[in-house]
Amino acid sequence: MKLPELTKRFNQIVAPDIPNEWDVEEMLEPYLDQSDDVCQTIFWCIPAIWPISNGLCRDFLKILPELLGFVPLAQLPARVGEILDCYEMQGLRAAQQFMRSMESRYQERGNGSGLVLLGEVEGRLLPFIRGVAGRDLMIAGGNAVFTDTETIFLPPELAIYPKSADNILLYKLILAFQWAFLEIGSFTVFDSAEQDFKSDPEGPLWLTSFFSSCSDPIFARDCYSFLETVRAARFLERELPGLMRAWSALPRIVAPPVQEADPRATLLLELQAELLNGSLLQIQSQSSPTVFNDYWRRLTCEGASAVDTVHAVREVLAAIFDGKEDGGSGEEYPGISPLIFQGELRLTAIEAVRRQQFLRQGEELVHSLALYLAALPQEKLSQLLRSEEEKQSGASGLESDVSMIMDSEFAGTVDEHQAPLLVTINNEEVELSGEMAEEVRKFREEFGHLPGRFVSSAVGRAGEGVAPDVQPGNEQGGALQAAICYDEWDYRRLGFRKNWCVVTVKDLPDLKSGFIRQTLGKYHGVVNRLRHQFEMMRTTDRFVRRQRDGDDIDLDGLVESLADARAGLAQSDRLYIKLLRDERDIAVIFLVDMSNSTAGWVGNTIKESLVLMTEALEVLGDRYGIYGFSGMRRTRCEIYHIKDIDEPSGDVVRQRIGAIGPREYTRMGPAIRHATSLLGKTDARVRLLITLTDGKPEDYDDYKGEYAIEDTRHALLEAKTAGIHPFCITIDHQAHDYMDHLYGPVNYIFVNDVRRLPLRMPEIYRVLTS
Amino acid sequence: MSGAKIRLEEHRIIEEPYYLAQKNEVEIACAAHRRGLPLLLKGPTGCGKTRFMQYLAWKLDRPLITVSCHDDLSTSDLVGRYLIRAGEAVWMDGPLTLAVRAGGICYLDEVVEARKDTTVVIHPLADDRRELPIEKRGELLVAPPEFMLAVSYNPGYQSVLKDLKPSTRQRFVALSFTYPAVEQEAEIVCRESRVDRKLALTLVKLAVMTRSLKDSGLPEGASTRLLIQAGKLIEDGVDIPSACRAAVVEPLSDDPEMLAAIEDMVASLF
Ligand SMILES: Nc1ncnc2c1ncn2[C@@H]1O[C@H](COP(=O)(O)OP(=O)(O)OP(=O)(O)O)[C@@H](O)[C@H]1O
Ligand SMILES: [Mg+2]
Repeated sequence: MKLPELTKRFNQIVAPDIPNEWDVEEMLEPYLDQSDDVCQTIFWCIPAIWPISNGLCRDFLKILPELLGFVPLAQLPARVGEILDCYEMQGLRAAQQFMRSMESRYQERGNGSGLVLLGEVEGRLLPFIRGVAGRDLMIAGGNAVFTDTETIFLPPELAIYPKSADNILLYKLILAFQWAFLEIGSFTVFDSAEQDFKSDPEGPLWLTSFFSSCSDPIFARDCYSFLETVRAARFLERELPGLMRAWSALPRIVAPPVQEADPRATLLLELQAELLNGSLLQIQSQSSPTVFNDYWRRLTCEGASAVDTVHAVREVLAAIFDGKEDGGSGEEYPGISPLIFQGELRLTAIEAVRRQQFLRQGEELVHSLALYLAALPQEKLSQLLRSEEEKQSGASGLESDVSMIMDSEFAGTVDEHQAPLLVTINNEEVELSGEMAEEVRKFREEFGHLPGRFVSSAVGRAGEGVAPDVQPGNEQGGALQAAICYDEWDYRRLGFRKNWCVVTVKDLPDLKSGFIRQTLGKYHGVVNRLRHQFEMMRTTDRFVRRQRDGDDIDLDGLVESLADARAGLAQSDRLYIKLLRDERDIAVIFLVDMSNSTAGWVGNTIKESLVLMTEALEVLGDRYGIYGFSGMRRTRCEIYHIKDIDEPSGDVVRQRIGAIGPREYTRMGPAIRHATSLLGKTDARVRLLITLTDGKPEDYDDYKGEYAIEDTRHALLEAKTAGIHPFCITIDHQAHDYMDHLYGPVNYIFVNDVRRLPLRMPEIYRVLTS
Repeated sequence: MSGAKIRLEEHRIIEEPYYLAQKNEVEIACAAHRRGLPLLLKGPTGCGKTRFMQYLAWKLDRPLITVSCHDDLSTSDLVGRYLIRAGEAVWMDGPLTLAVRAGGICYLDEVVEARKDTTVVIHPLADDRRELPIEKRGELLVAPPEFMLAVSYNPGYQSVLKDLKPSTRQRFVALSFTYPAVEQEAEIVCRESRVDRKLALTLVKLAVMTRSLKDSGLPEGASTRLLIQAGKLIEDGVDIPSACRAAVVEPLSDDPEMLAAIEDMVASLF
C-alpha cells in the first residue's frame, strides 16, 4: 500500500483521535513495502490496541515487522491478546519487554521447553491456593516472587523444567511457600522482650525496625528470610506432604556454584544448596556453624516460632562473625538471590497493604459509628457536638484527650461479647451496644487500637447528619445506584477488554402525559381481546381423569369399572383423578433501544407496544422488567429503569413508559450483560431476554461494524450460558443477515411494518412462551 | 389396621445409630419433643441432618417416617387418599397421617422443594393446635404428645428466592447444622469408613479446603458424606488418589479448571 492510503485508513481507525501527522508517517513507514496480507492484519490489530493505549500501539507497530519474522500471521491476534493482557496487568514497560522477549519464547516453545505461562494456568492455581489457604488470596504476575499478604506475585512464565507439568508444580510450590509464610507468622513477628516498640498499623512492621537495628541489616534480612524458608518447609511437610514429596522427586534445581568470596554470602549459599539437596535438617550437617545446629534441633524436635528465628539471627550476627561488622572480610555484604519459591521479603509492600486495610476498615468504622451516634437522642448528640467544637477551637491537640474507648466494667466477668462498650468522647460517655460494639472490638483486635481521630470524625459526621450516599441527579433523571463495570468482547484479540464499559442505571422521569390514555383508548378492542387470550394461558390446575393413581377417585371411571365387573368384563384400573399443575414460571426482561434513530413514530409504536404488552402480562402473571438503554461511549452506557422484575406495575410504571424517548447511541453489549445479571438473580424456570431495537448496534466511538456485532453476539452467548433465552424483535425495512449471526436463525423476528408492532408483540410473546 | 402397624414397626429404629453430637442439639431436640414443638434443621448437604433424626428417633423410641419432598409432592401424598380395593373405596393414610396417629416422628426432608400449597397443610400441625385436618374424610386428627414434626432444608444451594415462607419458618424450633469441627469430623469419618485417624484427618483437611471456594465458583464444598465414601473406597483397596478423585473431586464440579485445582489439593495433601 502507498503511504497516503495507509495514513488515511489509520486515521479512520483512530478517529476521533487526531494523532500528529509525522508520528503517523513514522509509524507506518515500515509497512510501505509489505504485502497486502500484512497490511490487512495490522489494520486488524490497531483498533484492538489503540483505544487501550496509544503508546503501546506505537511500540507495537515499531516492533511488528520483527515479530512477523517468526510469528505466523494467523497467530498474531492471539499474541496481541497476550500483549494487551500483559499491559493491563503490569503496565507499559512490562508489555514492551514482553513483546521483545517474544522471539526467544517462540523458539523455546518450538523446542518443547515445557514453558508454562501464568495466564494459562491461573484458572487452576487461583482456586488451588484459595482452597489451601482458606481465604481469598489473589495471584498476579510480577517481576519477582513475593507476597504483600493480599496478593502473591508469581513469575509470568516458568520454563525451569523441561516438562510443563513440573513447571506447574513449581508454581504450586511457590504459592505454597508464600502461603506458609503468612501462616507461620513470618511477617507479623514481634519480640515482646522489646518493650519500646509501639505497634502502629500505619507505621513500619516490627521486623523492619528489627532489621535496621542490626549491625548488618541486609544480611540479617537474608538470614531471617532463609531461616523462615526452612521453617516454612517444615510446616509444609506437615500440611502438604504430597506437594513436598512431589517436589523432592523432581530433579533438583541446580544451585549456582558458590563463588562468593564473602563469608556471609558463602554461608547462606551453602545452606541454600543443602536445603535443595535435602541434607540441611540432618542434624550433623557439617557446614553449619553451631548456632544453626541449635536452631535445626529446635526446629525438628520442639518446633520453633518466628521469634526463635529472630533470636537465631541475632546469635548468628553476634557469634559467627565475632561481632565484626563485615564478617571478617572487610567487604560489604553483597546480598544473595533468594530461592525461587522463597521469593523476596518485601516488607514495604506488606506495610502498604496493612496501611490500606487500616484506612479502609477505619473509614467503614467511622461511617457506621457516625450512623450510630446520629441515632442517639438529640440531646446527647448536641452535647457531644458542643464538646467537640470546644475542643477544636481550644488549643489542646492531644489525640488521647479527645476520645477513647474502653471496655465497661463487665468485661471479663460476663461473656465478653455481650458486655457493652463505653466510648468516652470528650468526657461524654456513650455506650456502644450490640453490633457497633462488636465492630469496634474486631477493629481493635486486628489493629491494636482505634485512633481518636476516627472517633472525632465520626462525631463530626454525625453532626452533619449522615445522609446515605446520594448521587447528585442530572437532567436525565438521577442515577439510581453506583456505576457497574462490564467487560467487552474484542473479537480481534479473542479476549475481553476488562471493565471496559461503565453502566449507570437511571430513572426515567414519570411524565404525566395523555399518552397512556390515548393508547388504551386507541387499542380498546385489542386490549380486551388480549386480556382474554392471555387469561387462557394463565396457570391452570387441570384435572386429568382416569389415571392409575391420583389424588381422588374418578367416580365415572369407578362406575364404569363396576359395571364392567358385573358384566364379566376386564376391569380398568384407571380409577383416579389427578391434579396437574402447569405452572408458568417465567421471568422476562424487555430491553428497549432508546437510541436517537428511534425518534418519531418508531419510538411511539414501541411505546404503544409496551403498553399493550404490560396489560397482557398483568393478566398472565408472568414476572417482567422493562429497561431502556442508550448512551455514548464506553464510559457512559446508560440503563433507564422503567420497571424492575418484581416491582408492581401501576401508574408510575406507565408514566415511565410514556417518558421513553430517543437519546443517544446503541451500545448493545453492556445493556445485554446488565439484563443478564438481573435475570440471573431471579429463580424463574424460564428466563427470557427480549430486545426491542431498530437496527444495528453502534456507538460514537469504535463500537461499530464487526466489532459491535461480535461484542453483541458474545454478550448474547454469555446470556445463553447463564440459562437465559435471548430473543430479538427488530424493526427495520429489511432483514439483515447479521441477525442470524447474532441470535441464531429462530431467535429473532423482524417486523417490517412498524404500525403492526403493537399487535404483533403480544402475539410473539404468546407463541414464545406457550 | 394391622397392616399399618406392621408398616410402622419397620420405621422403628432398634439399634443405636452412631451420632456424634456437635453441640447441645440432642438436648434441645429432646426438650422440644417434651414440649410438643416442631423442629427445623438447616444446614448444607451431607452434614448429618438425617443421621441426627435417626438418632433422635432411637433415643425417643419413636418410629421415624421420612418423606423426601419434591416439587410434585401433593397434599394427598402427605395426608392420604382413597384407593379402590376389590371394588370398594378404601382410605389409605399418607405418611404424615400415619405418623400422627402412631405418635411417631415425621421428617420432611428438603421441605423447600415441596410446592408452597403443600407446605401449608403442616401449618396447623406445627403450631400449638397440633392438629391435622383430613378434609376428604371430614376428620380432624389431634396429634398425641409423642408425635413430632421435623423438617429440614439447605439454605445454601438454592437462590435467595427459594426460601421458606416466614409463616412456615416461624413455627419451628430451629437447629443449625454445619460441618463438625475438624477433630469431630475426622472421628466421624474414622468411625463410618474405618480408615485410620491420620488419613481421616487429611480427608477432612481436603474437605475444608474445598469449602472455602465459595467465591471462586464452588457453591458447596465436600460434605462429610463424600469423605466417608472416599474412606470406604480406600478401605476397599482403591489407592488414595483414585478414591479421592472418584469420591470427592469429580462429584463436586464439572469445570475443568476447578477440577484441576481440587486434584492439585489432593496431590498436595497425600
Ligand atoms: N454428627 C455426626 N455423627 C455421625 N455421623 C455423621 C455426623 N454427621 C455426618 N455423619 C455422617 O455423614 C453422613 C451424611 O449425613 P446425612 O445423611 O445425615 O446428611 P444430611 O444432612 O441429611 O444431608 P442431605 O441434606 O444431603 O440429606 C451420614 O451417613 C453419617 O455417616
Ligand atoms: Mg438427608
